[in-house]
Amino acid sequence: MRALRHTLLGLAAALLLAVPLAAHAQAPEDIVKAGKLVVAIDTTVPPYGSLDAQMQPTGLDVELAQLVGKALAVPVEFVTVSSPGRIPALLTKRVDMVISIFSITAERALQVDFSNPYGGQSTVLLAPKSRKIAGPKDLVGLKVGATRGAIEDIVLTEIVKNNPGITYLRFDDGPSCAQAMLSGQIDAMGGGDYGDIYLRKSASGDEFEQKFVLRPNYFGIGIRKHNPALLHWLNTLLFTLKNDGTLDRISMKYRNKPIGDLPPF
Amino acid sequence: MDYQFDFGPVFAHWPELLQGTLLTVYLTAVATAIGLPIAAVLAAVRSYGPRLLGAIVGIYVEIIRNTPFLIQLYFAFFALPALGLRMTANTAAIAAMVVNLVAYAIEIVRAGLDAIPRGQIEAGRALGLGSLRILRHIVLIQALRVVYPALASQFVLQLLGSSLVSAIAAEELTAVANNIMIVTFRNFEVFGVITVVYLALSLLFRALLGTIHQRMFRWTT
Repeated sequence: MRALRHTLLGLAAALLLAVPLAAHAQAPEDIVKAGKLVVAIDTTVPPYGSLDAQMQPTGLDVELAQLVGKALAVPVEFVTVSSPGRIPALLTKRVDMVISIFSITAERALQVDFSNPYGGQSTVLLAPKSRKIAGPKDLVGLKVGATRGAIEDIVLTEIVKNNPGITYLRFDDGPSCAQAMLSGQIDAMGGGDYGDIYLRKSASGDEFEQKFVLRPNYFGIGIRKHNPALLHWLNTLLFTLKNDGTLDRISMKYRNKPIGDLPPF
Repeated sequence: MDYQFDFGPVFAHWPELLQGTLLTVYLTAVATAIGLPIAAVLAAVRSYGPRLLGAIVGIYVEIIRNTPFLIQLYFAFFALPALGLRMTANTAAIAAMVVNLVAYAIEIVRAGLDAIPRGQIEAGRALGLGSLRILRHIVLIQALRVVYPALASQFVLQLLGSSLVSAIAAEELTAVANNIMIVTFRNFEVFGVITVVYLALSLLFRALLGTIHQRMFRWTT
């Protein structure tokens, strides 16, 4: 009995200690206080995130993260995540924010908060030029691949459900999916419309082309829910970066085209 | 803790979880069933066969045991098509698992073969038994008995290692878990559930292998 009471007391004390810490919202000044900004990036998605010849992260998302860090006057620490690892990285507090072609969707917004968009990119279906594919119906009888958890996976899963006869393969990351495409294990793949960039760079390159748009996407910076001050500050920063031409400049640098229209929400 | 646990959305996907579990069991069972006889024969070749053949088996063992399983998997699925050999994800997964398992099992069985006193082989010859019968009835059966616990561990490792084949789009348990995580975002619950499933599978597999052990190697020495 006495042991039980001690255990319960101990548990109560632990809870009392833990609760205020967990419930504390994160504001921009907390990041300043912590002395560093921890950002989740994916280094397998050029031109947004990749590793340069010195194995340092580079790309549009990486430069944006550095701009956020600069605005807070703290150094940026990068944590590499895969596409399905982005939300867990936030929820388990391994990172302060996700800047990793994180498309804004209502489903994801149940778990995390999105800033206003800082960029956009359509998700498309890619296939060899020689193959006649005009729409989802033409995929019947073919092997189609996508990266697990990416937007193209969500859209293609729906297409596969509505068009019986498509063999559908999910890969853990973009390069594996591109490899499957290059080695002929799949006939078509879902990807960003940047997809042709890395396919063209690979050995049997430029015979691939975009067939049809699966969904237009907008990327936001993802943070944990219930952090209104941080969210508002991020939106303010993005507003200024858009209006002073910074976003267009880094977009030209990495994607060879301006950032385009960014409808806020 | 501001995380609300909710296993409901995960259990709602039980048909996929079941399918993934069955594929995991299938891949492991097939790879084990194909791999063990091959390993037994190649181990005998390495121990008693012609020197050249033994050396070739040795090279194979060293290559496989000193390269990552993931790379072997990628090789089977992404690289072999360049040579015109195109396998589906499941076939490529089984092929890679067999190739990997055989290399480790050869070394384990060989340790058992080395434990058989040469005198027993000579005794077999003296009794007029042929080489194959000596190998089967005297050498292999005893060798397998000696190394059975080590082999069983290797098979369980194989079961757990099969979680890697989701990398080449085989929809086994880990792949299914990732799929469910993406639609439910319930990462703790999903991985909690499949941890329990893997644990249950391993224990079942061990129990099954233990039963086989008792049935096959009942005699006492």
